[in-house]
Amino acid sequence: MIELLQVSKIFNAGKPNTFTALQEIDLTIEANRVTVFKGPSGSGKTTLLTIIGCMARPTSGRIFLRGQEITSLPERFAAETRRNMFGFVFQNYNLIKGLTVLENTMVPAYPTGIRYRIIKERALEVLQKLGIDSKARLKVEYLSGGEQQRTAIARALINDPSIIIADEPTAHLDTELSQAFIEIIAALKNEGKTFLIASHDPLIFESFIVDRVVALRDGIIVDQGQSL
Amino acid sequence: MILNPAIIALESGSVLITAFAGYAAVNATRILGSWDLQSGSEQQLELERKTYLISTILAYLMCFEIISLFLFTYTAEDIHDLFVGAMCAAGSLNVNDYGYPTLVLKALNCVLCSQWLIINHTDNMAPDYPLIKTKYKLLLVIFVFLLIETLFQSKYFLQMEADVITSCCGVLFSEDSYMIAGDIASLPSNATKIIFFLSLALTVRFGIHFLWTGRAAMTFSMAATYLMILSVVSIISFISPHFYELPTHHCPFCLLQKEYHYIGYPLYFTLFTGGIAGLGVGVLDRLQLSASLVNLVPVLQKRLCLLSMIGYILFAAISVYPILFSDFKLEGY
Repeated sequence: MIELLQVSKIFNAGKPNTFTALQEIDLTIEANRVTVFKGPSGSGKTTLLTIIGCMARPTSGRIFLRGQEITSLPERFAAETRRNMFGFVFQNYNLIKGLTVLENTMVPAYPTGIRYRIIKERALEVLQKLGIDSKARLKVEYLSGGEQQRTAIARALINDPSIIIADEPTAHLDTELSQAFIEIIAALKNEGKTFLIASHDPLIFESFIVDRVVALRDGIIVDQGQSL
Repeated sequence: MILNPAIIALESGSVLITAFAGYAAVNATRILGSWDLQSGSEQQLELERKTYLISTILAYLMCFEIISLFLFTYTAEDIHDLFVGAMCAAGSLNVNDYGYPTLVLKALNCVLCSQWLIINHTDNMAPDYPLIKTKYKLLLVIFVFLLIETLFQSKYFLQMEADVITSCCGVLFSEDSYMIAGDIASLPSNATKIIFFLSLALTVRFGIHFLWTGRAAMTFSMAATYLMILSVVSIISFISPHFYELPTHHCPFCLLQKEYHYIGYPLYFTLFTGGIAGLGVGVLDRLQLSASLVNLVPVLQKRLCLLSMIGYILFAAISVYPILFSDFKLEGY
């Protein structure tokens, strides 16, 4: 489903502070699976996910999504692909303070041009599925860590993407909330979603829901992992 | 002379556009030489990132270049009272050898830039850069013309001498003038009217045919382009005398003056809209279309065709208004 060919990412190329985040990554990721990228800080997990998710471009190499090359896409096509194909759960959730849970959930759907009423109905439906609909009218700054994360997941699901990218999703959660997150992932996986998760939390990469663990170090894949 | 605000704006704009077009031309040579969408090399990805930025900035600059044609004529019109003998832009442009060539170059670049914008817009409609080489080849040509225009415009403004006695439009566009303007002014008005309105009717007819069937795009485009030239001739021959209500006054510039309610601006704007959009239909028809554009280009061509027809119909409406509603009659000239 997702194929990476010789993907490299170099920051500040040609300058004294050049940093190679990814080096010639070759990888194929299957659909409807949970793939976890593990590795220490600075290993390139987040960079890899942002490149796969069309949020950044590689320095060299190509990425194919369902057979279509996505690294060369002009920005407006890249934005369209990003919006329709990917949902993002960021490490710090990146929720917009001052907006309610419902409003935060609806934000990624606005550029699609779908009517407000339909977006709102869909957002309430997603929030209900994640068990947070009772907080829909509450501003996000008043939420607990777990509630914030569920709001972030709801926002990632609002455009019904087939791939969810989550960067260190349990970094700010205790064990109980991390287990709750894993259960949400399991439910969404059963609905056919593909998950790409960057994590160095054993609770995640040793979880029963994970199909494959790819290990990274210094921008290189040290273990491709095997699909379970 | 150079301290006039409009001249400073024109000069700054031209230098900026030409300098950026020069930078883009350097990248164009790289793109024409080494563009390979199949490659994932660092150079290819850098070109992909750059071309998007360059195209976006160029598009805005070229919009200014198109507008600058009107700003240039406005400036020439605005400064005419500084020269002895000048009654409008026609006199100002005649104060040295660079005025009229600059105007012609600006008109040419206006047409070229607008075609580049149409091709760029078409290219941006597809995800695989199908027209990238075409648009950068055209950019190289445009860069040369922009450079020449900037040089001519600078020469024109820098070499203006306030003590030069210039000719007024009454001399330049008189029927007795031995220049091409005089030849056009002396065309028989009735015959020119018939040819103009017949050509307009045929162009609209071809346009409707293309909109209806999707065929004969080139026929419409050629007719629309020919009509643009014929319309300029018609303005000098019979349209402007109707606005002036004076059979011997054929100046195409006095129309831009307040006395005539600045009617020249909407007149020329609609004319250029009709001509440029019509030409664009043909330009798109000549392109080698990739699979990603096959279904998109006919839709764009029809929009341009419609825009062209609207432009020409409005142009005709403005032109016909004084012919129908003023007491002035031009029969016999």
